[in-house]
Amino acid sequence: MNNVIECKNLTHYYGKKKVFENLNFQVSKGSILGLLGKNGTGKTTTINILNGFLQPRSGECLIFGENTQHLSPQTKSRIGFLIEGHIQYSFMNIRQIERFYSGFYPNWKPAPFWELMSKLDVPHTQKISTMSCGQRSQVALGLILAQDPDLLILDDFSMGLDPGYRRLFIDYLREYAKAENKTVFTTSHIVQDMERLIDDLLIIDCKGVLAQTSVTQFMDSFNRFDFELENDKADMKNASFVVNLDKMKNKVELYTYSSESIVKKYLDDNNIKASNFAQVKMVLEDAFIGLTGKY
Amino acid sequence: MMWKLVVYKEWLKIRWFLVGYTLLGILGVGYLLLTVKHDFAFSGGKNIWNSILFLGNQFFSPLKYVSLAGGLIIAIAQYFPETVNKRIKLSFHLPLGENKVLLMMHTFGAVSLLLSFVIIFGLFSGFCLIYFPVQMVIYSLITILPWVLAGFSAYFLGALIILEPHWMFRFYYSLVGGFFLTIFFVPAVTSAYSPANSGLFVLTAILSIALLFSAYRFRKGEM
Amino acid sequence: MEKVSRYLLVFIAILTLAIILPRLYWMAFEKPVRKPFILYSCINDDFMIHRISEKTWEDTKGQQYTREEYEQKLPMMFLKQLLASGTMPDSVNGVKLDMRDIAREKSFFRLKANEIDAPAPALYPLFESQSGRAMLDLPDDFFRITWRIEFIDAATNMVLEEKSQLFSATLFQYGFSFPAKTISGLATPRKSVDEGYLIVDAKDQLFHLKMIKGKPYVKTINVPEGLKFKYISCVDFKNKDFYAYLFSDKNEIYILTQGDYELIKWPVEGFDRSNSDLKIYGDLFNFTVVIESENQFKVIALDLDYQVVDTYTETRKLKEEQTEGKIFASLFPAQVSMTSDSSKFIRFYVSISKGLNWIIFNLLLMAFHFTLLFKRKVKLKNHLADLGIVAVSGIFGLIAIWIFPNKFFD
Repeated sequence: MNNVIECKNLTHYYGKKKVFENLNFQVSKGSILGLLGKNGTGKTTTINILNGFLQPRSGECLIFGENTQHLSPQTKSRIGFLIEGHIQYSFMNIRQIERFYSGFYPNWKPAPFWELMSKLDVPHTQKISTMSCGQRSQVALGLILAQDPDLLILDDFSMGLDPGYRRLFIDYLREYAKAENKTVFTTSHIVQDMERLIDDLLIIDCKGVLAQTSVTQFMDSFNRFDFELENDKADMKNASFVVNLDKMKNKVELYTYSSESIVKKYLDDNNIKASNFAQVKMVLEDAFIGLTGKY
Repeated sequence: MMWKLVVYKEWLKIRWFLVGYTLLGILGVGYLLLTVKHDFAFSGGKNIWNSILFLGNQFFSPLKYVSLAGGLIIAIAQYFPETVNKRIKLSFHLPLGENKVLLMMHTFGAVSLLLSFVIIFGLFSGFCLIYFPVQMVIYSLITILPWVLAGFSAYFLGALIILEPHWMFRFYYSLVGGFFLTIFFVPAVTSAYSPANSGLFVLTAILSIALLFSAYRFRKGEM
Repeated sequence: MEKVSRYLLVFIAILTLAIILPRLYWMAFEKPVRKPFILYSCINDDFMIHRISEKTWEDTKGQQYTREEYEQKLPMMFLKQLLASGTMPDSVNGVKLDMRDIAREKSFFRLKANEIDAPAPALYPLFESQSGRAMLDLPDDFFRITWRIEFIDAATNMVLEEKSQLFSATLFQYGFSFPAKTISGLATPRKSVDEGYLIVDAKDQLFHLKMIKGKPYVKTINVPEGLKFKYISCVDFKNKDFYAYLFSDKNEIYILTQGDYELIKWPVEGFDRSNSDLKIYGDLFNFTVVIESENQFKVIALDLDYQVVDTYTETRKLKEEQTEGKIFASLFPAQVSMTSDSSKFIRFYVSISKGLNWIIFNLLLMAFHFTLLFKRKVKLKNHLADLGIVAVSGIFGLIAIWIFPNKFFD
């Protein structure tokens, strides 16, 4: 059983509003997977189902083979969970919170926690509620790392963090996950951050899964071609290879999994005259927007 | 030993509220007993006794809502922080059964409340025994008991209401809970509650697991 | 566990609604009960009925009177008014009227059911019966009867050992079985004289206990075999004819005469101490006994030998027989109240609605809930218990399961 997470036929509605229907995905052991999607496509819904805080209308998610609606304490101890906004028991101070959590986990490894705390430069008796967002994120991360779980679920870890802390968080996390062969399932609304962190991506929108693959493969196969049309009435939306097409007057941004030659052949075959044809190099964020559209 | 850790967390949340409440309660009882002492000195013991025995004087009536307030304070101190940013998720994610965590938290809260009541009303009874014979103190305690039970009921109902994820249902629960609590405070002569107290005790015990219901709704994603 | 917590909450809600909704219903729809004021006229030898809200004065034959005429038929009751208007007769039934006689023989006694079923005081004051003072003083100590009689000093809260032993020994000598079942007396200094207490002991024997010059006065009262007194109400009437009205376990009314301690049973029937209010008007010629229960008004006139002279009964519709009551019994399966008119105790007073209409309404509500469930296309299997709850508890149950919904439980 190589899949740490397995979600089958997930369907959920809020009232009459559909969030997703028949969503299927799995996360294999050792991978760092980013769940990407625009707002309202069900990222947090998915995370809530994974953590057993939401009962889907139908379908199920398994973590380590257990239905997430009834996770056993043993399985829960194998999952590190970072709540959106790095929520922790803010009425505790650093020392208290370490003392609290350490008792719950037999594999508790305090070293990574104190290592992160030493970078913070706050007294150990300072209440978490009085800390900055960035400091709190380090506390939350440190606790998860010390828990030494096999699976880390991070809900929007970049929320409220300034770039420095984001970088610190990502680098520390990735190094740790790779060194210890941990599985990570994460979302973030800042796609840029994901590029440094994740190996695999899962892109969803309201219709379902748009892509589940490794980041490298995705970036290799997903292309953007820019060109200018002579006749700006020319329509190529129906071409089978078009994933997304952005047209401003006669300037076209074309997103496709197909190669340059296929696109050019199509233009020729359909007698569409185009100039300044060029492949544009993309970062993950561009590709994400290209795939899901700007709106 | 995980219950010790849960107790530790709950203690950090409620300690100042609990200590503050208990101290206020002690001060209240102290004030009450000062008035009794004063009345004894000025009106004479026999007149005080007579007024309590035959004229309906309930000298302990200032204690009427003390325990109700205690139950609400502890419920808020303990459960309100859990609802801020849905922090209760952290507790549910602990390697324990969800209901088990809740019941540990709840037991701790209820025991804390009990200790506080024991201190406050123990002090009251102790001082009363100086001024009044045992029967009169027992009659007073029979009258006070429903108020104390109301304190526990308020704590249990408070948890139910605070943990409920849907504001509309919070309102409904408050309505039912508010009306329910009135049955503990029906104006009556001293010790009139003696046939009802056991029933009220059972009802209070029934409410002790009420919070599991709203917590379950939270866990199932009711919004 | 969550499921259990839900059903328990539904139960709490049903109980709460069964208290609140009926209370609101009656607040909105209850009509005041119009009670007649009925006395026995020594002049007419008939009952005089004053209907206060209708402002009518009549006798049992329907003869109407003006207010003045009515008052003249009841000279013992309206003495002051008749004196003021100069219409007071000199004699009645051949008896020359003397103001002092009238005043001495006039008595009023009232007992409500909720005074009988009420908490007893923890302690009682035993007055000095022959202090030689015109006014009674509240004693410094109070007594309780447990395995003995104990006097406790209110100033020090200490048992007065010597006094306790003296009184205990005396009671013991008279055959008193400790502890006491009931202790009855007038525990107030506002009375003309002190007559101590009438005490029923553990073996249902009746004793009279007084304190005379600091010493116990005990009298064992001869009680016929098998007679048990459940409630005794001491009186302080000017004529000093008797100590108390006594109520037996069989709802008989007795008086205990002063001096010779004779128990006399009154030929009065229809009194039920658990739900009747009792009024007894005494005067120079008669005793008028008024027994009022929820649906009946019974008046019995006795002569001074305690023999029945006349009786009069009026019935009225019970609350549940009135239209509002019938509607109530169709809407609500039951009513729970923490208080009762016939008791000072707080209890869960449950009354199930009479008739079967409420069952029909319950089933209608159940069908309504069933339709809603059907429309929502839920699995009915998970809602059978809820439907059962509505079938049994009707409107209360329906609201309760809506407030604590059966969601996610499958």
